[in-house]
Amino acid sequence: MRIVLAYKWTCDPEEATARADGTVDWSRAKPGLSTYDPVAMELARRLAEEAGAELIGVTVGGKGVGAPIASKAALSRGLDRVLIIEDESLADAGRSELAAVLAEAIRHIGGVDLVITGDSSVDVAAKMVPTVLAGELGWPAVAEVTAVTGQDGALRVERAIPGGVQVLEISGPAVLAASADAAVPRVPGMKELLAAAKKPAELLDLSALKVPPGGAVMTVTGRSRPERKARKGQLINTADPAAAAAELVAALRAAGAL
Amino acid sequence: MSVNAWIVVADQPTVGNLVTVARSLGGPVGAVVAGPRSVAETVANAGVDRVVWCHAPDDVPPEASAQAVADTVAADPPRVVLAGRNPSERVLLGAAAARLKAAVLTGARSVSVAGDSTTVVNAVFGDISDETVAVSGPVALLLDGGSAPPPAGQSAPIEEVAVAPLGVKVIETRTHGFEKVDLNAARRVIGVGRGVKAKEDLAMVEQLAEAVGAEIACSRPVAEGLNWMGKDRYIGSSGAHISPQLYLAVGISGQLQHMVGVTGAETIVGINTDANAALFTQTDYGLVGDLYQLVPAIISALK
Amino acid sequence: MDFELTDEQQLIRDAVREFADTEVAPIAGELDRDHRFPYELLPRMAELNLMGMPYPEKVGGAGADYVSYIIVIEEISRACASTGIILSAHTSLATWPVYKFGSQAQHDRYLPDMAAGRRLGAFALTEPGAGTDAAAGTTTATLHADGYALNGSKIFITNAPHADVYIVFAKTDPDRGARGMSAFIVEKDTPGLSVGEAEHKLGIRGSSTPPLYFADCRVPKDALLGQEGDGFKIAMQTLDGGRIGVSAQALGIAQAALDASVAYAKERVQFGKPIAAQQAIQWMIADMATQVDAARLLVYRAASCIDNGRPYSTEGAMAKLFASETATRVADRAIQIHGGYGYTESYPVERNYRDAKITELYEGTSEVQRMVISRSYLR
Repeated sequence: MRIVLAYKWTCDPEEATARADGTVDWSRAKPGLSTYDPVAMELARRLAEEAGAELIGVTVGGKGVGAPIASKAALSRGLDRVLIIEDESLADAGRSELAAVLAEAIRHIGGVDLVITGDSSVDVAAKMVPTVLAGELGWPAVAEVTAVTGQDGALRVERAIPGGVQVLEISGPAVLAASADAAVPRVPGMKELLAAAKKPAELLDLSALKVPPGGAVMTVTGRSRPERKARKGQLINTADPAAAAAELVAALRAAGAL
Repeated sequence: MSVNAWIVVADQPTVGNLVTVARSLGGPVGAVVAGPRSVAETVANAGVDRVVWCHAPDDVPPEASAQAVADTVAADPPRVVLAGRNPSERVLLGAAAARLKAAVLTGARSVSVAGDSTTVVNAVFGDISDETVAVSGPVALLLDGGSAPPPAGQSAPIEEVAVAPLGVKVIETRTHGFEKVDLNAARRVIGVGRGVKAKEDLAMVEQLAEAVGAEIACSRPVAEGLNWMGKDRYIGSSGAHISPQLYLAVGISGQLQHMVGVTGAETIVGINTDANAALFTQTDYGLVGDLYQLVPAIISALK
Repeated sequence: MDFELTDEQQLIRDAVREFADTEVAPIAGELDRDHRFPYELLPRMAELNLMGMPYPEKVGGAGADYVSYIIVIEEISRACASTGIILSAHTSLATWPVYKFGSQAQHDRYLPDMAAGRRLGAFALTEPGAGTDAAAGTTTATLHADGYALNGSKIFITNAPHADVYIVFAKTDPDRGARGMSAFIVEKDTPGLSVGEAEHKLGIRGSSTPPLYFADCRVPKDALLGQEGDGFKIAMQTLDGGRIGVSAQALGIAQAALDASVAYAKERVQFGKPIAAQQAIQWMIADMATQVDAARLLVYRAASCIDNGRPYSTEGAMAKLFASETATRVADRAIQIHGGYGYTESYPVERNYRDAKITELYEGTSEVQRMVISRSYLR
């Protein structure tokens, strides 16, 4: 069985700041594996270990995603090899474009039985790339996956639904998006980390993939800081909790909130 | 008729907001439903112009109809295709977006049309910035679905389509003990964060909720890591987005991944020991102090 | 001169920090309060290949560079200083002399298990009458037909009685002072070896440091490490490296105290604003941060000397001297910043303060470090 794990190397918006003109300053942010990708990697490697499958990492993006430290970080978490498509033009790519490139990368690898992704990326948090990817491949997709076992052709998938868990059986290739709390990723061991540099990391040119052109074109015509509903920002002195509570209740009643 | 906006629906009819947005764009509105016929009927009564019901076998989930949904939408390509923020709807929308080669935007604050172009003001990077995006070509939007739409008078006919499902079958469904909740319907909500130290302390918060007349919600770590509540109670960028009359944040730091879920609240109150917490830049009333003293005090003050 | 960590060093730091935050820090307070040895952490550290960081893979180690090993000690110590010294004593004081001075047979017998963390090591040099004056030890090793008989006692032995392998220093020729000292590999459960009562210490209470007693303790001839008379040299060279481990432990303690102080200063409100708005606090933080950073540079530099095959005795002494004094000073300031709350068990800084002091004392007191440093300058 051949499993692809699609991951992202990017910065956390918590470390970014928005300037007054709406542009975002990423200069103090340090890139890393997107927060929920290690969860997906843990789910994938459990399945790969159980099924004796090959586990291949794939990532696409702008400059920097092919940096050795990015590949080593991914390879230290149970991947056998990684394929990177790093191209400046992808830095600002939309979800559909990234999904289209991922689909071509998966076709390029060939013989892929399963694609596993994280819940969403830490920066964009769209939750759509896995589902558009599945649409591009014509495969079923399932999100909020908490467990996956079995063999290619007969996968047993658990996914969270409101109120509980549903067990599904999938009979062909599929795309699974792991829920953010599907597993606690194991801490990489020192040998795994040091061996990561020796595992294959292949940089593939975007032009080699022949992604079909066309599709909707997005142009950013303006940026702004979001208008936040102006908050009163009133602080109530809490030295005397009973007095503070009385003051709060009175204020909320006056404001019609209670 | 040439559909201008397709609404993609799975097994829940909670698409009221999608109907409103779709209608606001002008032009015929279609809905393609991959779920029980009853959902198709609710949507058909909601003031849409076309309803296609993808009729799949009983033992498959909505995801199995993704290609059928994509076929339907592609046969009558729209300007915009919309879906609500639920896992099954995301899968169906993804299939439609791939087929249409649509631009996918998931933070739309507003959508408008200008000739052939569609303009979306899209919140990015956890809401720290807004981008105005002009799209030439189809747009796929992931939005808050809203509640089930009320009947709007006329009823669209339901076109039934038999679905050759993708290879996914439901084997088993297990329910956990957590009581389900519709946070969108709550007028007042109390959010619990990691400032609440022990699960037993939730009893105190429940007393407050009863005194205030509020539903209880939480930040992501409380629902997922600690598993103190069902995931449908988690408010945040990838959880519930609510606009209640009152949101009371107890022991929540106020990080943007959580607060983005309540920016629409009328009044926000925050309780936290950390005067420097991000929470206090987003509250109407802030109490810098110990929730273990303040929550009981507020319960008393409400008696 | 590149002051940046390599990719591997960064990834190692991130992984060990993840382990320290999720598995070590949550029990650190309890280990201290209950004077409890962290049994459960040893198999986990072994699983993560942390117990033999600088030793080659072919003998069971992780094959990492020394800077990476030092980063491991620092990150573990930041969460729990007791666990940090358990690991450092095992790796630098016990495994190292076997690796450096052992025969092929001793390598085969001990290294794979020790480097992989299956067997824990300890270093037994100090005696009630021989601390800084290490050559004054009175434990003897008398040669008989079938081996050596050890007689005497040792004190403050880190990792006893949990260790499987003890590096024991004893006089084969009591009249020759330092030159009469030899080193032996003694396995636990050897008849004649017994362990005394636990020592109750100010800090590093999770680290077990009881006395050892040798009463006609018989070890085979091939338990001798190196040659007779090599013992003092083996001990001193081992301590040269061990003190870099201690300097990393001190660095971790200092960093923990600094981090706690920064968080507290931003949170504690007095006179209507966080105390971080007060210049007195700001300057304390500035001084603490600068000293911790300076300590880090000395510690990593010493480790770097080992990686580059350069002499490291003086550099290690400088690192240990500076990092240990930084730890006690920063921990003291940390309690000051926390005020009354810093004096209670509700905050971790009182443990940092108690843990820090030992780093100025063991593996060569600050006075010994000053001797080493001044000798290299005033020779």
